[in-house]
Amino acid sequence: MNHSSRRKKDISIKIVISLVSTFGIFVFCSILFFVFQNGASLLSWKLISSDYYSTNYDTYYDGEVPSQPFTRPNTLSSDAFFSEKWGIAFIDEVDNEGIAYVQIIYVSEDSPLRILPDKNDSTQEVTIDEYQALEKVIFSNRTIFLSSSGAENAARMFDQSDGILDMLTSTPGKGIRGSIITTLILIGLTLVISLPIGVLTAIYLHEFAPKKWIIISYLRRLIEMLTGIPSIVFGLMGAAVFIPFVSSLTGADGGNLISGSLTLAVIVLPVIISSTEEALKTIPDDYRQASLALGATKTQTTFRVVLKIAIPGILSSVLLSIGRIIGESAALIYAVGTAIKDKIILTERSTSLAVHIWSIMAGESPNFELASAISIIILLVVFVLNIVVKLITHRLISVGREKI
Amino acid sequence: MIKNEINIMKKKPRKHWHVSDRGTQALLLIPTLLSASFVLFIVIFVTRRGISPFLPSVYGANAVNWIRFLTGTTWFQAPNIYGVFFIIVNTVYIVMFAALLSVPIGVITALFITKMTPKGVSHVFQTVIELLASIPSIVYGVFGVGIITKLVMSLSEFFNLQTAGGLSTLSTIMVLAIMILPTVTLVSVTAIRAVNPELEKNSLALGATKTQTMFRITLVSAKSGIFAGIILGIGRALGEATAVSLVAGNAGSGPTLDLFSTTRTLTSTMLLGLKETVGLDYDIRFSVGIVLIVVVLLSNVLLNAVKRRVGRFS
Repeated sequence: MNHSSRRKKDISIKIVISLVSTFGIFVFCSILFFVFQNGASLLSWKLISSDYYSTNYDTYYDGEVPSQPFTRPNTLSSDAFFSEKWGIAFIDEVDNEGIAYVQIIYVSEDSPLRILPDKNDSTQEVTIDEYQALEKVIFSNRTIFLSSSGAENAARMFDQSDGILDMLTSTPGKGIRGSIITTLILIGLTLVISLPIGVLTAIYLHEFAPKKWIIISYLRRLIEMLTGIPSIVFGLMGAAVFIPFVSSLTGADGGNLISGSLTLAVIVLPVIISSTEEALKTIPDDYRQASLALGATKTQTTFRVVLKIAIPGILSSVLLSIGRIIGESAALIYAVGTAIKDKIILTERSTSLAVHIWSIMAGESPNFELASAISIIILLVVFVLNIVVKLITHRLISVGREKI
Repeated sequence: MIKNEINIMKKKPRKHWHVSDRGTQALLLIPTLLSASFVLFIVIFVTRRGISPFLPSVYGANAVNWIRFLTGTTWFQAPNIYGVFFIIVNTVYIVMFAALLSVPIGVITALFITKMTPKGVSHVFQTVIELLASIPSIVYGVFGVGIITKLVMSLSEFFNLQTAGGLSTLSTIMVLAIMILPTVTLVSVTAIRAVNPELEKNSLALGATKTQTMFRITLVSAKSGIFAGIILGIGRALGEATAVSLVAGNAGSGPTLDLFSTTRTLTSTMLLGLKETVGLDYDIRFSVGIVLIVVVLLSNVLLNAVKRRVGRFS
């Protein structure tokens, strides 16, 4: 009796534990479900390659009508409407705010509409290409096309007309090309700064530091303290130290990508130092002694033998750092700024992908679709990096030593 | 004798150092000193900037009274009323609740991963928790605004209460609890794996059930390590900025103890409404930064003292 009740209790506790433990997986799945549900439809090459700010073009065409009708290309999808006279095709699309518009989906290479003069500045030319939205057209036969008329009407009206008095088109905007470039620049610059410092520090601490010096343990503790500092405080340091520093060197006005990279370099420094040191620790002393016995100096041994074997460990620290840089937002808000840019200049403000999300979420009307789409990109990159790091460390532990 | 010999063997390589190795050693000291100096940089420069709002020599008549800053219960940018006391209370209150929610779930998940599942399943669970740990805070912020505030809103409607679109203490607590869950879980997993399996076997042999062993033997033996995870999680929760500022709602005064009202934490104060990068409203954020550093340090010292206390009763 007593025994069976004890067993029942045991089993019921186990069930409770199992249920509670699924909470983490439940949260993980709901985050993934949420970002994919909101952002997946937006995720496209168009999002990645286009600018954030939309540009309007005002053009006209007063040249001759093409003598030969164009043939509809086979690659064109069936719901596109093609104007044989001008060699241009349109499709009905819905933008990020859910408003219908007419998008130019194809312009023939030989079409006279491919390159048009700018109405406001006669020296400029405008290239009409796919992804542009057709806002409004006034044809020479006085018919007017508006975006609300739809793609079918657009193709029909183009076919009926012999010239264009005024054509308004616009690039789609809300793209993240600028933020992707900024993120890549930040990753590159940060690693260029922090990797040499971090690896050399790790080499000093593990290979060269005199063991008797008490100071070394203090230095180590100071470096370890960096890991406990909230990232927003790093941002404050970036604003207080690196922005004035970079400004005095380059004449930059306020936050810029260099000060941002310097700040990020300090953030990832402990990661690089500790994983490089871990990698150095796994190298058996035999290798060092063998090299020294062959007459190599300590310096040669360290940089030609030890460092080479430690490369997988250093590589995993690089991948971890990239993950940290991509996800970092609070520090960059202070050390760079929150202004989304399309033209990226090193000494000016712009946003990384994470800060891009912050900018569109912290405003008056948060744009969930775009934020989720960017989140999907960030999550994919971070997950892949993490799994690769896991594989590298796994290899290092299991087969690494035999392989060397 | 033997000790001496070992010492001689240890010293040997250094005696064979080439002259150039001394040079390398000296050169490598430079990046090391640089790496170690950043903490000092942070403390010195953030403090210098953070003190300036209180100095009449910098801000004249606008200078903030530091006693009022530390004891104040309102924060308004327009007439320069900056009181940080209620923000500290809010922050500690929120982090405490987040830890209370997160620690039991994290520890139980850790027990499940280490003790109750076959290797394949526990591997999947651990990988998911590791991936959860790698999700950047801004994504948690988007998730918080999109799901958790909605959840809190329907909860408040159920109780017939008012919320500002779900931006509330409760949302902040939930977001933080989710964010520190992986930290607590992963550190607990390591701590539980380090427990001597003999202890558990002895307990089972004495007739204790598996769950009794898990809670009375395994957890008690691993409590020091688990506590280290809790300290780490709390430190992370105190410094968490972007996700929190998206769901906190930035109340102008407080402290907010009501779960469904808007609140304001130290980090959300630093991030929100950031427009100018000069002037009193910008510099006062550095003062809040100092307060944040002090709160993180104090909580660390306090919790470590508790940890030592807890460790003693085993």
